[in-house]
Amino acid sequence: MNFDFSQEQQMLQDSVSRFIQDNYDLESRIKSAGSKFGFSQDHWQTMAELGWLGLPFDEADGGFGGTQIDTMLLMEQFGKGLVLEPLLASVILGGGALKRGASTELKAEILPGLIDGSRQLTLAYAEEQAHFDLHDVTTTARSDGDGFVINGHKSMVLHAATADQIVISTRTSGGQIDEKGISLFLIDADADGVKRDNFPTVDGLRASEVTLQDVTVGKDRLIGELDGGFAILNDVASDAILALSAEAVGAMEVLYKDTVDYTQQREQFDHPLADFQVLQHRMVEMFMEYEQCKSLLYRATMEAAQGSSAAQRSVHALKHLVGKAGIFIAENAVQLHGGMGMTEELRIGHYFKRMIVIDAQFGNADYHLGKFAA
Amino acid sequence: MDIELGPEDLAFREDVRSFFAENAHKAGEDYNVWRLDWFKKARDKGGWDVPKWSAEFGGPGWTPTQHYIWEQETAQATLPWDMPFGIGMIAPIIMAHGNEEQQERFLPDIRGRKVNWCQGYSEPGAGSDLAALKTKAVLSDDGTYYTVNGTKIWTTMAQIADWIFCLTRTDDSGIKQEGITFLLFPMKQEGIEVKPIITLGGAHSVNMVHFTDVKVPVENRIGAEGKGWTYAKGLLQHERTGLAGISRSIVALENLKKQASTVKRGNGSLMDEPTFRAKVAELEIDLMASEFTELRSLASASAGSAPGPESSILKLKGTEIQQRIAKLTVEAGGIYSAAWGKPVGHKFAKGGMGGYLASRAFTIYGGASEVQKDVIAKNVLGLKRSSK
Repeated sequence: MNFDFSQEQQMLQDSVSRFIQDNYDLESRIKSAGSKFGFSQDHWQTMAELGWLGLPFDEADGGFGGTQIDTMLLMEQFGKGLVLEPLLASVILGGGALKRGASTELKAEILPGLIDGSRQLTLAYAEEQAHFDLHDVTTTARSDGDGFVINGHKSMVLHAATADQIVISTRTSGGQIDEKGISLFLIDADADGVKRDNFPTVDGLRASEVTLQDVTVGKDRLIGELDGGFAILNDVASDAILALSAEAVGAMEVLYKDTVDYTQQREQFDHPLADFQVLQHRMVEMFMEYEQCKSLLYRATMEAAQGSSAAQRSVHALKHLVGKAGIFIAENAVQLHGGMGMTEELRIGHYFKRMIVIDAQFGNADYHLGKFAA
Repeated sequence: MDIELGPEDLAFREDVRSFFAENAHKAGEDYNVWRLDWFKKARDKGGWDVPKWSAEFGGPGWTPTQHYIWEQETAQATLPWDMPFGIGMIAPIIMAHGNEEQQERFLPDIRGRKVNWCQGYSEPGAGSDLAALKTKAVLSDDGTYYTVNGTKIWTTMAQIADWIFCLTRTDDSGIKQEGITFLLFPMKQEGIEVKPIITLGGAHSVNMVHFTDVKVPVENRIGAEGKGWTYAKGLLQHERTGLAGISRSIVALENLKKQASTVKRGNGSLMDEPTFRAKVAELEIDLMASEFTELRSLASASAGSAPGPESSILKLKGTEIQQRIAKLTVEAGGIYSAAWGKPVGHKFAKGGMGGYLASRAFTIYGGASEVQKDVIAKNVLGLKRSSK
């Protein structure tokens, strides 16, 4: 048992950290978020060149054969800069589904472009009536000759506007909430019958409502077994939760440290705010929650990387704690910054907004508490 | 980075388990004979009677993983009764700051569980503000002994203690952290009076201790005169890291779940009630995180570096978790938790209330939670000592 990172992992951490420091000051982020695609094409290409887009894929598929631990290191640094580029959508979600379920041919066709940054993927899993249940699927894929015809509506699809392909969960048999009978397909984002309604999310990222009307897809685009897509979806969601939690832990560190700095500079009642015990204790609580999240992040990530049977439960525990603690830290960071915390001028508010969105992605704190207790 | 136990660690765990199984107390066996024999056998295993002592002083010199395994296994087994004051608290001070003569004089009896120690720190006027202590020690004109006068309070197990390690004031001219001297002396002597204090659970474990002209030879002073605060601070660190009790809480939580499952509610049990279940789940999640906070802390300690910032939160989180378990046990007992003395209703309900009441002290002793937060604010976050 050890908590040390390998030399390669430390190098990865250093290189991501340097990238964030050099490129992700608040002003640059705001500019990037407001640009046409909502992120920087240059940064995206840099990430591909540095090998980050290939991190979790097998070496045989042109990747680096990394585990969830490597992704954690990357995402924790991303959280410190609130990175906008669609690595989660393309690599962890879309790519994660392909990695787990796609045929050799499909992988060979798609993954090289994904890894070199020329092709972008995303995953359409959510539906309006489903709340956070991955298995509540009404979008249908009907068998038709050599392929399938897809009809339905998918919600809050991350970065769909810039995606070339979308991995989509559909119902091919069973009832609306059955785990069995869900099938995953890879469709072209600009295929006939696909309509994307694009919008920004409150944290500065992008998403789309996607409607599908008689979209035809070949059976060679099926990912995993017919009716057997749920297990893949669930594993991808677990990886996404680990990645988002790592991002959240990075963001929490910025939130509590910025607050410690700010309260030492801001003077009221002839004292720096940080002199007041009531504020000191609040900041200690923020720090403690951050450390506890980090501990649980390590636990769940190491268990997942090792394929332990305990991992699923730890992932629920992690998402619960990260949601709860993340919002606690973020709300208090705003509170301790006073009026300035309410402005777009300081970065605190931007981290706050990201933390709220992270809680809602792939199930919020209450949802995962329920899953954990079940 | 990995959490798998290697083959050596698994073998070690087996060794620990079979040692506990082979040496468990048997029905009819004289407890005290068994107890001392257990420690002797543990000693023969290579320092298992003093797991936290360094190899230099006869400890086992375990890796952090081995310490972790030991914690886990001891939480599940029934070990002989032991007190922390000798082995865990004064011994490390004597090792670090005592002279060779003192080490030879005191450590063997501490290790052999022959001498019971108590801790003379808090005073009626010095609780969280420990450095405000006033118990006076005056050096004799010939420089051979101190005369001690004053009062200590919350002295745990003073009623059975043979010796006390005591913070005394030898100089009050400077700042209050200076002029404190660390003395050791026997409890069974003229001039020492122990008065019991009964706490909420009805137990007698703490006392008030009065000293009237108690003579202490200078050979019983640890380190230099006036430097006692420095040594005590180190001891508080020892005490605090030992107070989190994470492994014990893991076992206690499993017991709570079992107990709550025996409380019938409709067709199911209390564990099927969403509100109770959610409270247990939140507690378990905090405990899972704390377990890894402790592991991270162990790992950084073994890397030779100072304990990382994560270790500072262990006492706070660990004691809060112990209190939440105790409270849920009382909740699970329902109205039966109110019965006092006579066992009625659910079997676990009788011990529940006493445990809960006693647990309220966990966030007060060894540095109250609010003091712990002051310490973290200063030492970890780098904030100045607060003005209000």
